Amino acid sequence: MWNLARKLLLHDRLRFAVAIAGVSVSVMLVLVQVGLYFGFMDTASSLIDASRADLWVGKKGNESFEFATPFDERAFYKVASVRGVRRTERVLMNFAQFKLADGGDLGVQVVGIETVPTEKSLLAPWNVVDGDARRLSEPGAIVIDRSEYAKLKIDRVGHQTELSGVHAEVVAMTSGIRSFTTSPIVFADMRTARSFLPQVGGEAVTYVLVQVEPGEDVDEVKARINALPHLAAYTTKEMSDRTRSYWSSRTGVGAGFFTTAVLGIIVGFVVVGQILYSGTLQYIREYGTLKAMGARNSAVVKVILSQAMISAALGFVVGGVMAVGMKKAMAGANLTVALTPELYGATAVITAVMCSFAALLSIVKVLRLDPASVFKT
Amino acid sequence: MISALALAESLPSMGKAPDVLARLVHVGKIYGAGEHAVAALSNASLDIRAGEVTLIEGPSGSGKTTLISILGLLLTPTSGEIWLEGRNVAGLGERALPPLRARNFGFVFQGFNLFPALSALENVAMAIQMKDPKFKKPRDEARRLLELVGLGPRMHHLPADLSGGQKQRVAIARALGGNPPILVGDEPTAALDTKTALSVMELLRELASERGRAVVVVTHDPRLERFADRVVRVEDGLIQSISSPSATASH
Repeated sequence: MWNLARKLLLHDRLRFAVAIAGVSVSVMLVLVQVGLYFGFMDTASSLIDASRADLWVGKKGNESFEFATPFDERAFYKVASVRGVRRTERVLMNFAQFKLADGGDLGVQVVGIETVPTEKSLLAPWNVVDGDARRLSEPGAIVIDRSEYAKLKIDRVGHQTELSGVHAEVVAMTSGIRSFTTSPIVFADMRTARSFLPQVGGEAVTYVLVQVEPGEDVDEVKARINALPHLAAYTTKEMSDRTRSYWSSRTGVGAGFFTTAVLGIIVGFVVVGQILYSGTLQYIREYGTLKAMGARNSAVVKVILSQAMISAALGFVVGGVMAVGMKKAMAGANLTVALTPELYGATAVITAVMCSFAALLSIVKVLRLDPASVFKT
Repeated sequence: MISALALAESLPSMGKAPDVLARLVHVGKIYGAGEHAVAALSNASLDIRAGEVTLIEGPSGSGKTTLISILGLLLTPTSGEIWLEGRNVAGLGERALPPLRARNFGFVFQGFNLFPALSALENVAMAIQMKDPKFKKPRDEARRLLELVGLGPRMHHLPADLSGGQKQRVAIARALGGNPPILVGDEPTAALDTKTALSVMELLRELASERGRAVVVVTHDPRLERFADRVVRVEDGLIQSISSPSATASH
């Protein structure tokens, strides 16, 4: 059956090529669009996901991770004193003006963290590819991702600049840390960050990161923190999901990507459906002859479904390779396409279902084909 | 596999002639209903016997195609009986018919209806496999059948590389797939030149005489009568006569 299906498809090579092109473009669109979406979502929650905290505590009512309202540092001590909390660290996030080498300014997102000499911080720059992130504790030291170097006109680690008029020096370079807001992330020690962010006050904190005591139930500690006034605690997973959900639903970015992906599926469906249907019409007398001679409907349907599955498999392979090419091309534009095995698996299933549904019209045509019709013309 | 002889022997209820493979009894077909009803065939009775070539002749619209469509179980009659495998199969439902057709009939058409993407061997093997998915080594059987119809040397050619006569021989080999006792041809020689048409009819004649097949052929070509044991004349939906080329008997 597979052999017959393959030969029927390959007999008209141009039509076959169009079918494969249709499926490939469809697969590529689904992979790239959904991969871009997940890439953006990974970017949106990357700071949270990279933290080693069990809980993130912020001001109650915060919706956006990046635009969270700071609160007074006294709350930090209240959280630290909650039963079951082993360790707490402050995080300060806000926007500052980065002085460019050509004299201009660019808005950046300062992430103030605690640099702990004796212990690894709950949040710290990761994927350090140049310089020494341990120097963050030095006054004015900052760490910036290499993907932002061109935008910030930085040529090397050691670059000197100013943030909000305060001297700063790039002491390390990371790879792959980007902000969903498109404003470059600038890591700094808490004291340095406060000097860059005079607008938030000298005792402001945006988040408190919490590590619970070993053996303590994270949810119980969270409940205790939530009992404090004006504070809301989330597990790291919850915080990550909230952030992703915020950017996905509130900005409409999710709908945008998925609409394009669905359009891709529709394009593939129409192209494959049309190709299979025209192929079925071309061989309708031959199918009728087989039915007249006693071939069961199921046998003829298998031939058509096999053609659909061959188109799906080949289109998936070609589209998958195209998506990898697109991912590489987009990496040059600082866009992350998250092509995971799960995404490939889901897309393979979607492609198979799409091609099966595309074959429906042909299948109905063959099922309704009266074998006596071969005598009529 | 049911041989023609075995099948013929399995028809005791069909009366005294043991070589009768199929029998139409007072078969009629009416298309439409009420004022728009058209009787395409009326009161047609016909025995199909092993080893015989039966030609069905008549003008266009006379009911020839309706007759062989009913005989081949492709069309359900409005009235009458179709006896096959020892039972009346006229009232069987759609699902029961394909296996009956697969066991009993092979069809040959004017237009060959071969898959152009498949070689002669593949066309025949595929039909065998689709008639009986459990058939073992369909390619070996297809090879044997193509050699039987004289196409052994060209079995790997695509239909486009074969002449009209060769294509029809492939179609005949395909019709023989599964070893059906009855071959039904719908103007199988109409698209062929005279010489080729006669050679195809010779082949069908041999299949009847030497291999016990019943061959039923619809044709407009009176030159083919010399290959026939019986000629059935159909006009206005009625079998007007059943004759042999040497002696004519009134129906």
